Amino acid sequence: MEKNRRARFSLSIEKRIPVLFVSPCVAVLLAVSIFPFLYSLWLSFNKWELGMGQRSPTFAWLNNYAHLFTDNRFWDSIENMAEVLIFGVGAQFLIGLGLALLLNRPFRGRRWVTTLFLLPMMICPVVVGCNWKMIYNYSYGPLNHILRIIGIGEGLNWLGSTHLALPSIIIADSWEWMPFMMIVLLAGLQSIPVELYEAAKVDGASGWQEFWYITLPSLKTIIIIAILIRMMDTFKLFDLVVLLTQGGPAGASETISYYNYLTGFKFFNMGYAASLAYIQLAVIIVIATFFLRSLRKGEGG
Amino acid sequence: MENRRLRARRLFRPNDYLVIFVFVVIALLLILFLSPIFWMLSTAFKDKGEYFTYPPVYLPKKLDFSHFFNGLKLGGAKGIHDTLIVAASTTALSMIIGSLAAYSLGRFRIGGKHLAFWILSIRMMPPVASVLPLFLFYRFLKILDTYEALIITYTIFNLPFAVWMLKGFFEELPKSLEEAALVDGCGRLGAFYKIALPLIAPGLVATALFCFMFSWNEFFFALILCRSKITPVTVVIAGMIGGHEILWAEISAVAAMASIPIIALAIFLQRYLVRGLTLGAVKG
Repeated sequence: MEKNRRARFSLSIEKRIPVLFVSPCVAVLLAVSIFPFLYSLWLSFNKWELGMGQRSPTFAWLNNYAHLFTDNRFWDSIENMAEVLIFGVGAQFLIGLGLALLLNRPFRGRRWVTTLFLLPMMICPVVVGCNWKMIYNYSYGPLNHILRIIGIGEGLNWLGSTHLALPSIIIADSWEWMPFMMIVLLAGLQSIPVELYEAAKVDGASGWQEFWYITLPSLKTIIIIAILIRMMDTFKLFDLVVLLTQGGPAGASETISYYNYLTGFKFFNMGYAASLAYIQLAVIIVIATFFLRSLRKGEGG
Repeated sequence: MENRRLRARRLFRPNDYLVIFVFVVIALLLILFLSPIFWMLSTAFKDKGEYFTYPPVYLPKKLDFSHFFNGLKLGGAKGIHDTLIVAASTTALSMIIGSLAAYSLGRFRIGGKHLAFWILSIRMMPPVASVLPLFLFYRFLKILDTYEALIITYTIFNLPFAVWMLKGFFEELPKSLEEAALVDGCGRLGAFYKIALPLIAPGLVATALFCFMFSWNEFFFALILCRSKITPVTVVIAGMIGGHEILWAEISAVAAMASIPIIALAIFLQRYLVRGLTLGAVKG
């Protein structure tokens, strides 16, 4: 009898194991991630200017969201992000693809060369910022020294001029993340079956035709995935901005996450900061949906 | 002999000029690419006179390690210590909770695809969207500027990653092995930790190292959720730059010390790098 009951008990545990196993994870994520999102959603409909001494939030309907439309600083940061996306991610993709093609042939020491190219990505982003801060330095930096040697005037005021601050950040960001594009595309190149190229050779295809009709179409899914991931990352571009320019001069290099940080934690305009965050969330959800869709396609399900 | 002649003849094939060209291009790109890292390492050894001078000094005169010790004293040691605690705890938590969930999702397909994708979607949330409510939440709990605050926060972001990575590894594992264990009377739990876990050991290590790296490199949350009691190394480095007198040699020394362990880990992880960085979307 006793034995029977114990057996039944262990059987019922056995049956529930899938649920038991997954529940701690779901509980943790629900508890500490759903709450913040619901709370900040509510906050985004409230006026709460902690910085002005307003103690508790008051309901403000859609005022925060309406304010977004007339907030030039917000639109400037969107414009900056678009530039990072077009020039930064674009350059990373092109250079990364070029390097991946170069490294996709067997040669001695290829593994080590690949590892060396990956180094920038492995360094912590704050350290990358530090590094480029030294390199861009107007008076003592090596970059301007080299420019002066080549004879490009008196060197450029990289971080201090409104024209160059954002490009400087884009260069540093691209330096850091080009390896990501390279290694992902390299993995993609290596998964293309050799038979395809052999067949093309039999048909007398030129190198360019091989690239255009075999390589690129085979890489399509991976290219989409890599670009979507980098798109989501541009929303998070923060570390480099803090270290290199602090959004300056005159907001020329302010990214959306840096502006959001300032609204929330320097101006303490909590309600507006929450609505800024929610706008980004909406855009990210759209991108993430595309990402998940290509993921499902990749899984063949 | 025959071989050598063959090789000699090859040298003059027109195709080889292309190979040499490619090699030169790769070498030049490498030099260009690695120069910022070289700059950091060389600055770590420079005297004050050497980093505030024009023309800049590319190679310091002597290998002076004193900046490393100074850097550690100026907050670097505390930073690395705090980062280590936070990163290790986060990794342990994410791995324990994550491996259970991943097994359940990978083996029993619990919740269909929806649950798995919901978990993954939390990873993609922009940090700015969650930092504000988390900040207020922690302030309410009075755990701002503590290890707990950072550990909880990083776990939220590492857990989905760990689940998603490990799920892939479990799915690749043939079911038959665990089924054999079940027939032998092992029970599901036994089959999980005696058979499935050891078999995906490389995947476990890779996932854990990724979680560790993410937590080690994180700056955004650390900056906002910490004040003075807890100072992760990323915050220490950023703080040293904000100061009045910028001690570039000390900063570079701390920066080098903060990045070298991670670089070592990443090289070790290279096989899994693509998979980890694309959340398992590209198996590599």
